[in-house]
Order: sequence, then C-alpha cells, then structure tokens
Amino acid sequence: MSAQEKELTNEQLLEMYRKMLLVRTFEEKCAAEFAKGVMPGFVHLSVGQEAIAVGTVYGLRKDDFISATHRGHGCLIVKGMPMRKMFAEMLGRKTGACGGKGCSFHMGNLSLGIYEINGILGSSTPIATGSALAMKKAGTEQVHLAYFGDGQSNLGSIHEGMNFAAIHKLPIVYICENNLYGISMRQTDATAIEDIADRATAYGFPGVAVDGNDVIAVYEVSQEAVKRARKGNGPTLIECKTYRWRGHFEGDPTVYRSEKEVEEWKKKCPIKRLKERLMGLGILTEEMSDRIIKEVEQEVEEAYQQAWNDPMPAPEDALILGFAR
Amino acid sequence: MATVGIIANPASGKDIRRLVAYGSVFDNQEKVNIVRRVLLGLEAASVDEVIFMPDYFGIGPRAVDGARLSMQTSILDMPLRATQEDSTQAAALMREMGVGCIVTIGGDGTNRAVAKGCGEVCLMPISTGTNNVFPYMIEGTIAGLAAGVVAAGTFDSHRLARRTKRLEVKLDGHLIDIALVDAVVYADLFVASRAIWDMSKVKEIILTRAEPDNIGLSSVGGNLYCARFNRHHGVYIRLGEGPLEVTAPIAPGLIGSVGIAGYRLLSIGDQVEVTHRPSLLALDGEREIEIGKDDEMSIQLSATGPLVVDVRRALQCAAKANLFTRLCGGGSMRTRCAMREANLCLAPLDSCLARPQARDAKHEGRE
Repeated sequence: MSAQEKELTNEQLLEMYRKMLLVRTFEEKCAAEFAKGVMPGFVHLSVGQEAIAVGTVYGLRKDDFISATHRGHGCLIVKGMPMRKMFAEMLGRKTGACGGKGCSFHMGNLSLGIYEINGILGSSTPIATGSALAMKKAGTEQVHLAYFGDGQSNLGSIHEGMNFAAIHKLPIVYICENNLYGISMRQTDATAIEDIADRATAYGFPGVAVDGNDVIAVYEVSQEAVKRARKGNGPTLIECKTYRWRGHFEGDPTVYRSEKEVEEWKKKCPIKRLKERLMGLGILTEEMSDRIIKEVEQEVEEAYQQAWNDPMPAPEDALILGFAR
Repeated sequence: MATVGIIANPASGKDIRRLVAYGSVFDNQEKVNIVRRVLLGLEAASVDEVIFMPDYFGIGPRAVDGARLSMQTSILDMPLRATQEDSTQAAALMREMGVGCIVTIGGDGTNRAVAKGCGEVCLMPISTGTNNVFPYMIEGTIAGLAAGVVAAGTFDSHRLARRTKRLEVKLDGHLIDIALVDAVVYADLFVASRAIWDMSKVKEIILTRAEPDNIGLSSVGGNLYCARFNRHHGVYIRLGEGPLEVTAPIAPGLIGSVGIAGYRLLSIGDQVEVTHRPSLLALDGEREIEIGKDDEMSIQLSATGPLVVDVRRALQCAAKANLFTRLCGGGSMRTRCAMREANLCLAPLDSCLARPQARDAKHEGRE
C-alpha cells in the first residue's frame, strides 16, 4: 500500500494536517505552562517530530497498541488519549491519566491501545515485544508499535526485544525516532553506524530509513510494516530521521548544538511541508488552515482549562494505584 | 598527474524497497569496504591522487584508514546538505579540478545526481542501490583498476568509455531535470517515500534503454520486442488495458504483470508530452517531480548522457599495452607481447601474432 490518491482521501489528508497541528499546539502549551512553574516534574516535548506521531499512528486499528517514548505526547494524542487527561496528569490532578501521580512519564490507557510510557529508557521495548507475543498467540491480527530514540537504540534491552521478535515473527513494528541527540550526545558520538535501520539486517528482518519530517513518507512506510506484521510476516525496524526543536527537557540550555543547526531544521518543518503540498494540490487554502489552527488552539486551551480546574488528589489517594493490594 | 574522484552515496540502499520488495541492504560499512578496494585498484593503476566527496558517515576517510596507501587523498571542501545535491556539486567540483575519472558508489539515483555535474568526465559506476540499471555490479578492485587506467591518460579516455543516453525533463520548454534510465508518470500526489512499486499507478514509461536482462522498468520495455529497436533508440510505453500484457522484474524479487496500451520507439530528439496530470514524475526509480494540473511537461530523448567506462575495453587495452606487466630482470618491453618478451611463449614462432615493435599506446586505445 502507499499513501496515494486511492488510499488517502482529501478529508483524511486534512485530518492528518489537523492532528499534526494539534500535537504542536499541545506541546507548545506544555512549554508555556511549564515555564510558569505550574507543571511539576520533567517535560520532554516533541515539537518538530509531529510527522512521526501522525504518520505512524494514523491508520492503526483501535485495538492495535503503541508504546511511546518519554517524548511521546504526540503518539498518545493521535491514538486517542484525551488531552484533558494528559494535561491533568502533568498538573498532578486526580483526573489525570495516572491519577496525577505519574506526570508526563507514565501516561497510558490500555483500553485505547496505549501502554504506559516507561520512564526507564529502553525498558518499554521488551514489554512491547511481550505484548506482540500475546497478540500472536491470541491470533487477533493486532499490531504493536514500539518507539525508541537514537540514544536508546544502543541499549541491550532493545536488541533483546528485537531478537526475540525476529525468532517468533511477532507482529511488532520498531520505530526509532532518530532526532540526532540522546539527551546532549550527538548520535555520531554514541553510535558507530549512521543508519540505525541497518541493524535490522542483523536480526533478519527489514530495516527502512525514512524522512521523519515527511508525514506521508512515514505513513507509507509504517503502513507497509503494519500490513506485514498483521499478515504474520514478522517485525520491521523503521528509522525516522528527524530533529527536536526544543531541548531534551524543558529548561535544557542546549549548549551542545548551534542555533544555526536548529534554524536549518526548522526550515524542514513537517507541518509547513504538508501544508504547502496540500495547498499546491488545492486541498487546503490559507483560510482553511487559519480556521483549523484556531479550532485546534481552542481545543487545546479548553482541555487545559478543564484540567486546571480538575481536583487535586486527596491525601488518601496516595494509598491507591501505587501498590498491589 | 592522474587524479580520480570518488562519490559514495551514504544514503543508497535503505529505502522502502527493503519492505515492499526484497532490495539488498548496503550498510555504510560495506560501502567503506568497497571504496577501500577501489582505492587499492586505483593505486595499482598508478593513480597519484584521490579526491572524495564528503559525507556524514565519512566513507572516504574510513576507507583510507588502514589501507596503507601511498597515493594522496583529500576531501572536497564543500558544504554538506545530506541531499542528492551533494553528489551533483561534488561532481561539478571534481570536473573543475580536472579529475580523469569519477567513481560512483550508489544506484541509478546517485548516478543521475552525479551526471548533472560531471560534464565530460568518465564515470565508473559501482552499484549499491536497489533498482540498478546504470551502474555495474562489479568488484571494487576491478572498478578501481579500470578507473585508474582511464584516469592515467595513457589512452584517449573517450575510447575507453561509451556515451550513454539521457532523458531531458522540460517544464514549459525549459530543462529542469534529467534521467539516465527511465522517467515514469506516476498517478500519485506525494513524493513521500520516493520509491515506486505499485504498478497500477504507473501510467507512462519513457526509457533510454529497454533491456530484458535489467531489473526495474527497463525490463518492461525490454520484454516488448520490436525488430526495429537498436541501442540508439529509446522507448515510450503507455500502460493500461490493451491487447498485450507483459510480466517483468519490477524490483528485486518483485515480478509484476502490466497491461500495455501503447508502445513506440523513440529516436534521439523525440519528445513525449506528459498528459496524465496532476501526477508525479519518477526519475530513475524515485518519485521526484510534482506535476500540477496545468504544468506543460515534456520528456526528450537525448544522446548527451555521461560517458561511462567500458571496463572490459579499458583493462584489455591496459593488458595490450603491458601496463600491468614488467620484465622481472629489468629493461623495457620491445614488443607488445609480454609472453614473447619474457621467452615464455610456447607457440610455434610462425603463429606468433606479436609485432616486433610496441605500438603507440594512444593508437592502441583507438582500435
């Protein structure tokens, strides 16, 4: 399959554009509120990487699963996590995705096909692989998408997961969001090879490198990989080449990279790129885009205000969720 | 002074065709190995200097590291964009610097980018991409030797190379791009992951060469046998429902059947207008150009493609001129036959074809 006129309707293309804007606006709202000091904990934002969240998750079945990274707000939003629950979690409200106890790091919702984000880098991969094993044994033709970054790609748990999935031909797609930096370390200083996709060869399944700032390219590749997994043909590794515009975490002084580099990557903005193409095709106009932006801003603002007004956990809530009973 | 340029594409061999077909995986370490073997071949052919295109993986420097070369090596001073424009710019700079040959490591797409900048410098293309028609599947050492023979200037380089054809893409009459093997009108809206594999979306194919023993769309034309076809022709094919269906290797491991609605030979200078709009134009296997519904786009067959080293001819000429043989006891060859000169020839004297005096090497290359 490919993302072509037969498969993606104009309405779907506009929906993808809208979702990318939604993710961007959500992340920028997080940045603004975090800067005010009202959002406790760490926040890792994915501004600039929206094409990966939308391109990989859009088109999944509702009962498919994802395991996002700690920079995974976008994936959660596209998979259907209400933004109000996400904001509430990050604001420590009782209505949050983890009852306000987990902050940005641990949000999830199994009924929506979202495994909890894992704060320990690399540790979600074996869990996702186990989930794929369960899917295979159940014969449900579900697929699990497991995300990790270029830094995490060097961890043993990632390799153990991929090896196990290859042996058992599990319905899983490994998605490496290569944004060039693992915290402050440039990929070339931490990884001996340039293309992490090359590692798939060692496990005997396909590895594809794709422009992670081109949402349609990401969609094409991930849909092919999902189709392959659903048919029982096993895993795929997709490396999405991208860049995070903001720091590793909010407050990161980013002294390890130049302003010029950031500005160069901003020119490759995935949202602007889709907008220009849709306008060139006559699917989108400037007026339509302005309207979508306003709607999205309003939606994000409403979700934030609702979360803000949600109740804080009671003292006795500390005794639930955190321990087995 | 014999100088050779090397352009190794670090991005070739990693696209979606590993997923939708069975494309080979060429990791960059393997490209380093290939380049190292090329270097050793070049050095054996007495090349003095090698100039590399810079790349983000550092294929050239890694290949030099540990190779124990006596040749000079350097890296072009140019900004890197990590796009195909790097290859075009590197080729143009190498041409300006007067290299005798450019070795390319990549696929059809890499060579297309190089061809935009190399001018009349001979190319020695080594295949590491996916749907490769233009470059050779060749051992790097042999490629290095052949490129070295061409660059050494002992022979007229044009005699050791063959001229290729190209397709010139014109928008409103102005040249905007080229293809070396094929141009495909593809019914799609997005360049996206670039590769083409869904034959139901291929509407028209324009080929510089139609060869049944090639991988990719060239084979579609190659399997449509036309008695008038010769190597100077190109081919235009319109796909769709028709009286004929052809089965061809569309991509590695991907055999497809397509209906043929029309076919004609193209002579040099013939032009095809793109009528399926909006659409995409794929050049040498990759979606490249978005065609708007009002764009006046045409494709013209031209005889001005790049020169490509004829490996067999280059090395045969080198052998005839004793470039790689010498008398162990010293002294120079007085005949062109090393066997005779070294008294190794066991043939009867009257059957010896060797002439008493070595022929002018320049003349040798013109045979």
